[in-house]
Amino acid sequence: MDKTHKWTLWNREFNSPILLASGTAGFGLELMEQGFLEGAAAVISKATTLKPLVGNPPPRIIETRFGLLNSIGLANPGVDEVLRTVLPEAAGLPVPLIVNVAGETVEEFPAVIERLEESPVQFGYEVNVSCPNVAAGGIAFGASPEIVERISTLVKRVSSRPFSVKLTPNEGSIVESAKAAEAGGADAVTVCNTFLGMKVDWRTGKALLKRNVGGYSSPALLPLTVARVFITREAIKIPVLASGGVNRAEDILELLAAGAAMVQVGTWLMRRPDAAFELRKGVINLLKEPVRQ
Amino acid sequence: MEVSHSPFPVTRRPFTISSTSGDSVEIIFEVVGRGTEILAETEEGQSLRLLGPLGCGYRLNPGNWLLIGGGLGAAGFPGLAASIDCGLVLLGAASRDRLLTIPGFETVTITEDGSSGRKGLITDLLESVQWDSFSSIALCGPVPMMKAVIGMMPAEARANAQVSAEARMGCGWGACEGCSVPKAGGGFLKCCSDGPVFSVDSIDWERWEGIHHG
Repeated sequence: MDKTHKWTLWNREFNSPILLASGTAGFGLELMEQGFLEGAAAVISKATTLKPLVGNPPPRIIETRFGLLNSIGLANPGVDEVLRTVLPEAAGLPVPLIVNVAGETVEEFPAVIERLEESPVQFGYEVNVSCPNVAAGGIAFGASPEIVERISTLVKRVSSRPFSVKLTPNEGSIVESAKAAEAGGADAVTVCNTFLGMKVDWRTGKALLKRNVGGYSSPALLPLTVARVFITREAIKIPVLASGGVNRAEDILELLAAGAAMVQVGTWLMRRPDAAFELRKGVINLLKEPVRQ
Repeated sequence: MEVSHSPFPVTRRPFTISSTSGDSVEIIFEVVGRGTEILAETEEGQSLRLLGPLGCGYRLNPGNWLLIGGGLGAAGFPGLAASIDCGLVLLGAASRDRLLTIPGFETVTITEDGSSGRKGLITDLLESVQWDSFSSIALCGPVPMMKAVIGMMPAEARANAQVSAEARMGCGWGACEGCSVPKAGGGFLKCCSDGPVFSVDSIDWERWEGIHHG
């Protein structure tokens, strides 16, 4: 372990600033099998919901010229199955696991976390407020600072572990949402999630995704994340976990310099399952370089 | 396979390994979009990153096999035919230049324009097939073609048939849930890690549309 380079999250020290972003690493089990978790500080699981979700009809992934549209639909086996089979297996992960939680109603978030608390495995939670609030006609929970604060308060009440609120860039003010998460007791915010995107076949006039719109991610989005991390960091005291557009070691250092405590790698992990190892090595090498003015 | 050294296209492209020999693998592909277009421009001596082999291939059951391929769907057949007891290969394609050859195995071809073999569709070749003389069937091609072929199979043949599926893929190793194929009885299969080869009856053919290229 490198003695000089350390990053801290929730009173725990890591030799890497890299978190594997939710949805791109499963629960880390496939990557563990291949030894690809080396270099990662922690794995953030795919979303877990109260009931199992089969996910959206295919195609779920559309590659556009400069990025990727996804419409997975939070496919997951539900909290019962996650508790019964997935988390016991994840106990063998060589790095901590942060469980990502999603819901269709405000009450579902604390309900899922209350159940997850039965397991000793996870290090913390990431609360995905970018998903649609069914009771509010499908607008993301994250669009309303009041709802973000409410969810954070309810989660705080049932959780013995720290949690980050994963904010949406698509609706509302990310700064106001971050302040609301902090006010509700969140231990970090994740800035941010995929951008709402769409691909239309102009010949047929039809969207390629069955649900028309999906989440857009791309290395080209990095400056959008840097800006959001910077303005959010200025407004709150809790750590900011950066997410969006990272595919180089320089990107990680840039986000850390902009105020992030840790940096997530997501879409790039699909291309490079060993991304954490390579990127961490890159980060350490860059930090060893003499400082240039 | 990473088709480009640039970050774009972002994801790798999935390919069937057609055959292997020594330390080389053969991949046969058709230019159907930007990824394969870039790949086709690869020059000799250039290096590409390849992750694999991934997923589950054909279950190499003993007994006589029938292979049915549509266009480049037959890309995996050279390696498969060499690994099994291959009795007959049926290949269909739009035209001769999109028809693969599986040297060393009895092959009957048919093309839509008549440029090789009979003129017609692969289903025209199936009318004379003695289904009960084969204990395993491998099927791969465009989804509409596979649906038509399966529609002509007797129930017993269908129970012994395996298909190699395709889907738009994200990671290729089972994590992202991007490459779903409708599962018989509801839900989805992961093409990359549950498959890409599936038993015919594990797929919900009504719900499966395959890939829209373009």
